[in-house]
Amino acid sequence: MEAIKKEYWKDKANKALGISPEDARITKSYLIVAFVAILVGGLLGLLQGMNRAGILELPVWLNYYKVLTAHGLLLVVVLSAFFTIGYFYAGLSHSLGGLLPKVRKMAWIGFWMKIFGFVLAVIPILQGDASVMYTFYPPMAAAPMFYIGLVFIVLGVWMLAFGAFINVANWRKNHKGQHIPIISFFATGVFVLLFFGSLPVAIEVFYIIPWALGWIETINVMVSRTLFWAFGHTLVNIWYMTAISAWYVFVPKIIDGRRWSDLLTRIVVIALVIMNITGGFHHQIIDPGISESVKYMHVFMSLAIGFPSLMTAYAMFAVFEKTARKKGGRGLVGWYKKLPWGDVRFLAPFIAMAAFIPAGAGGIVQSTNQLNQVAHNTMWVVGHFHLTLGMTVVMTFFGVSYWLVPYVSGRVLTKEINKLGVIQTIVWTIGMVLMSGAMHWVGLLGSPRRTSYSTYFDNATALSWDPYLFFLAIGGTLLMIGVLLQVYAVFHMMFLAPKGETEFPVADVEEDATPTPMWTERWGLWIVLMLGLVSMAYVIPLVDFIVNAPPGSPPFKTW
Amino acid sequence: MKGIYYVLLLYFFLMLPPVANLMESVMIIHMHMQMTLFVIIGFLLAPALQKRFPRFFEEWNPNGIPGILLFVIVIFYWTLPRSMDEALNLWYIELFKFISLPFLAGVPLWDSWKKITASLKNGLISLFTLLFILMGWLYIWSPNQLCNNYLMIDQITLGWGFLLTAVCMIIYLAYSYITDFAKTV
Ligand code: HEM
Ligand SMILES: [Cu+2]
Repeated sequence: MEAIKKEYWKDKANKALGISPEDARITKSYLIVAFVAILVGGLLGLLQGMNRAGILELPVWLNYYKVLTAHGLLLVVVLSAFFTIGYFYAGLSHSLGGLLPKVRKMAWIGFWMKIFGFVLAVIPILQGDASVMYTFYPPMAAAPMFYIGLVFIVLGVWMLAFGAFINVANWRKNHKGQHIPIISFFATGVFVLLFFGSLPVAIEVFYIIPWALGWIETINVMVSRTLFWAFGHTLVNIWYMTAISAWYVFVPKIIDGRRWSDLLTRIVVIALVIMNITGGFHHQIIDPGISESVKYMHVFMSLAIGFPSLMTAYAMFAVFEKTARKKGGRGLVGWYKKLPWGDVRFLAPFIAMAAFIPAGAGGIVQSTNQLNQVAHNTMWVVGHFHLTLGMTVVMTFFGVSYWLVPYVSGRVLTKEINKLGVIQTIVWTIGMVLMSGAMHWVGLLGSPRRTSYSTYFDNATALSWDPYLFFLAIGGTLLMIGVLLQVYAVFHMMFLAPKGETEFPVADVEEDATPTPMWTERWGLWIVLMLGLVSMAYVIPLVDFIVNAPPGSPPFKTW
Repeated sequence: MKGIYYVLLLYFFLMLPPVANLMESVMIIHMHMQMTLFVIIGFLLAPALQKRFPRFFEEWNPNGIPGILLFVIVIFYWTLPRSMDEALNLWYIELFKFISLPFLAGVPLWDSWKKITASLKNGLISLFTLLFILMGWLYIWSPNQLCNNYLMIDQITLGWGFLLTAVCMIIYLAYSYITDFAKTV
């Protein structure tokens, strides 16, 4: 009883006083790394865009593939992971009454492990010994140090995942019979996926290291690709889940509305956790060694993930309409006027959601066998993930930063910065639409991805790509301006904005909401179901790859 | 009760020859996916049947034990390599598969599950864990082809599928042992 009372007061105090300085420092550090990564990564992206348009010839010491590897790694591994962790650790701290001292320590160990790993991986990239792109497919082999760096990054991630589990388990012990607060529920889902999704890539890397060192002569290429995508695809959905957590939990509050059904929100999380990892196969539709019928059945697995996405789309518009109508919005579509369009905290995630409509449609296109033959490894795919990741996910992160950064810094969002944010959102939107639109189109015309500028001896088809690639460069330039504005805004809000209180904007459920049943909390069961599904999905191709293995490949340095 | 039509639709869809042939073309999908789906269809049909024939279930399955026994016998039968072969070769065995899995395994398990004690539930899962380890061992390390209709590689894949499923069940048992669900949540 005493303990519960104390907990209760601690929760109250936490809500009133905001985040504790120790917890704030963790999130701030993660966010700083994330936004520095986007600054450097964006610059590299611009170089690539300029090169692809034929405007800029990269010098020998900074060749295209080196830049591309760094761009991919900085944005895919650093930006998104660091933002996700910083954001969810703030959410855990807020909703669970502060991080445990032990967990805080784990967060710092994880932080430095990730940084250390990243430095180890970057050194060979800069030296030109690891231009293997962020997918590091064997038989291309980087210097061993690159992979050792990856190991540390994965270990760091596990540290943070277990930190989150410990904190949630501790809270559950002290709050028997209660639901995990919604943002921590999302965090649990994300960290479960981070942990289980990074297991296959850890196995892959431990298999590559002896091969890169020359201790074993050959590697099974198909096994390593399959392990990679079990992770790669999961990572994509981790970003997606992070983004939708902001849509479900915070965006309704920002527009003064209520959350959508708590039960259905939790079901979306559970469905994503269970069904996610097996989606990896849709990255291997063109790969040899997997029979047509197995690929065909995997299409169902991929499209199944589309279902929670559609639920999300429905939920968001339902929340918007309901809120706008409450404020007096009228007409079939006229209610949209009642939404706070001038508030960057709403505008940015809204455009992010809207971008997911074409992005999701493009994803369905790519999961289709015949259409994948056309789009695979062309610029179309690059256009697709700049739309999903560069727009849907990253713009949500940007929108979140306008309250999360002031919240953890004990400052406020000023009118000027809000205006800057709105401008940034518009610049980014135009830039990404131009760039990704051009990428999609030129991809359909056959322009390959991951290829520096070439006219292929003035081949007519290759020359026909040039106008589109030019648009790509214009879009890229706008995006770079967007990056500068955003990074400025983040650092301003963190260090210069006026001091004050910023709320952690968790929306409430509807007053007449029915209580959520307790079975949603059975995380052990969800994990077992996920593992069962993963086993079923992977056992056929993996056994085939291993039992009927071809001779295997020695390492190659193709650059 | 409109949902029941969707379940029946799925049931007939899975029995359509092209669909059934596709699923049966891969041994592990035949055993672990097609058969499981038919059991699940039994689960989904069970509530409607319970409502329609309450007396029947009360009379024949008062404490859940007969239902569990029936379930175990039917599932054991379908894990035999020979019964898979026959289902592929003889149309009436195929038909028996389509009927027995939902109605003699899925429905009785659904009806029994709420009636039996927790320790019996865990005992049942343990029994299947053991069976699956045994089947895994048999299918992976058997030097001979056990089914006329499937290759050795299919057999080995199925064996690993059994072992992995057994691992999942062990994790589940450990989970329900450590976290007494009713108390912690
Ligand atoms: C200033 C903004 C950006 C520009 C101008 C830009 C441009 C580019 C270009 C031109 C490519 C190379 C296409 C190829 O040759 O295959 C590329 C690849 C890529 N970009 Fe961006 N990008 C930007 C921002 C982002 C963001 C925000 C993300 C994700 C958060 C991102 C993720 C990626 C990834 C994952 C690749 C693929 C790397 C690979 O194929 O190995 N980019 N980007
Ligand atoms: Cu994917």
